[in-house]
Amino acid sequence: MTVLLLILSIIPLIAGILIKVLYVPASEGIDISGAHIFFTIDLPLGGLPITESQVNSWLVILSLFFFCLFLTHGLKTKNMSRRQIIAEWIVNTVDNLVKTNMGEFFMGFGPFIAAMLGLSACSSLLTLIGLFPPTSDINVTGGWALLTFILITYYKCKAGPLIYIKSFGDPVPFLAPLNIISEVATPISMAFRHYGNVLSGSIISILIANLLTNVSKMIFGFLPGYLGGFPYLRVGLPAILSIYFDLFSGALQAFIFAMLTMLYVSGGFPEDEYFKRKRIKEAKKKQQVIENTNGGV
Amino acid sequence: MNNLDVISLNIWQIIISLLNLVILFLLFRKFLFEPVKKVIAKRQEEVDSRYDSASKAEADAMELKSSWETRMKSAEDEAGAIIKEAVEKADRRNEIMLYESREKAESIIRKAKSEAERDKADAQEYIKKEIVDVSTALSEQVLGREINMDDHMNLIDDFIDNLEDQ
Repeated sequence: MTVLLLILSIIPLIAGILIKVLYVPASEGIDISGAHIFFTIDLPLGGLPITESQVNSWLVILSLFFFCLFLTHGLKTKNMSRRQIIAEWIVNTVDNLVKTNMGEFFMGFGPFIAAMLGLSACSSLLTLIGLFPPTSDINVTGGWALLTFILITYYKCKAGPLIYIKSFGDPVPFLAPLNIISEVATPISMAFRHYGNVLSGSIISILIANLLTNVSKMIFGFLPGYLGGFPYLRVGLPAILSIYFDLFSGALQAFIFAMLTMLYVSGGFPEDEYFKRKRIKEAKKKQQVIENTNGGV
Repeated sequence: MNNLDVISLNIWQIIISLLNLVILFLLFRKFLFEPVKKVIAKRQEEVDSRYDSASKAEADAMELKSSWETRMKSAEDEAGAIIKEAVEKADRRNEIMLYESREKAESIIRKAKSEAERDKADAQEYIKKEIVDVSTALSEQVLGREINMDDHMNLIDDFIDNLEDQ
């Protein structure tokens, strides 16, 4: 059962590689373009193209889902397995992160932040097995940033829409346009930061690979036949660079994205106002209950 | 024309990726966070109950210990009292016995003394009588005549008295 779940969590990645090999034509030379479009569903507003980024993010979600099941299957209170220790470590780490950055009120954000970290990091790390990273598609990071924006606005409105609208006139009313721009710029900057980092990483990887191919052709070109055409310098060196551009940058961008989400959401939440209103509401409710009971008697 | 441009916005794709994140959030909450938190809470509960029972057992043991200690102390006191009593009793008995034996010894000594004295007096009487008899016979033979028995008796008595006095 345990092994089966682990295999199930690896299968989506293998499926991704198969899909890429079967359906995506290999690119020649320097070819910087977006995701490959498998087919397009007719919808208003430009139709829905099902692309590599969509498919790959679904595969990542499936993989993560089965990995979760693998980790949490057969939890015990005694004689914990190594899987359970890992699962508890993940949960505790994310919860601590949320607690220190957002406070007790936002403890429900733990799974959300974990989902954001997992989806973003795993999407970026898909480059390690040669798949198209969904995070280098502006639509994917844009969707996440939009969700963050919705959350920010929701929590800003939590203490009443009036206070939210009033906050644009802060500190002086004529700065309202600037405030609105900065409000809208938040998700856009988040989306472009993540997307740009991952995309630039893959572009640099392509450029370096091409450079190394050409250089090795220049140096080893005198060798006869196929030996001369083999890109010797591409062995090893790009792997070292990909440690930075894929592993480090991918994980760091995921962390930054989650961090910014936490800070913006908890920072925009007018805590004092909210709890003041809550107290007033509760007091009113109590009074009403007392009045009702008095009236009933 | 099979690829997207590097920057191409599509509202449906944005919505799909938004929903992807929401779905993964729900999956994580249902299948990772909830079970793990449940297990952690359960373990905490078990540990708490274990601690409770342990502290309870400790309190019981302490109570038992203190009760045993008081009992031991009272037993010690009792033992001391018993020993003291026994010693006193023995002392008393000892004294009585000593006294009794001394009495007995004294009475024996007294008895022996009086017996000895009586024997002595008897012997004196007897000797005196013998002496009188012998002296009377002797003097009769020496004098050749009958002497007054009574006078003679007195004479010898005087003599013996003088002897005794000496």
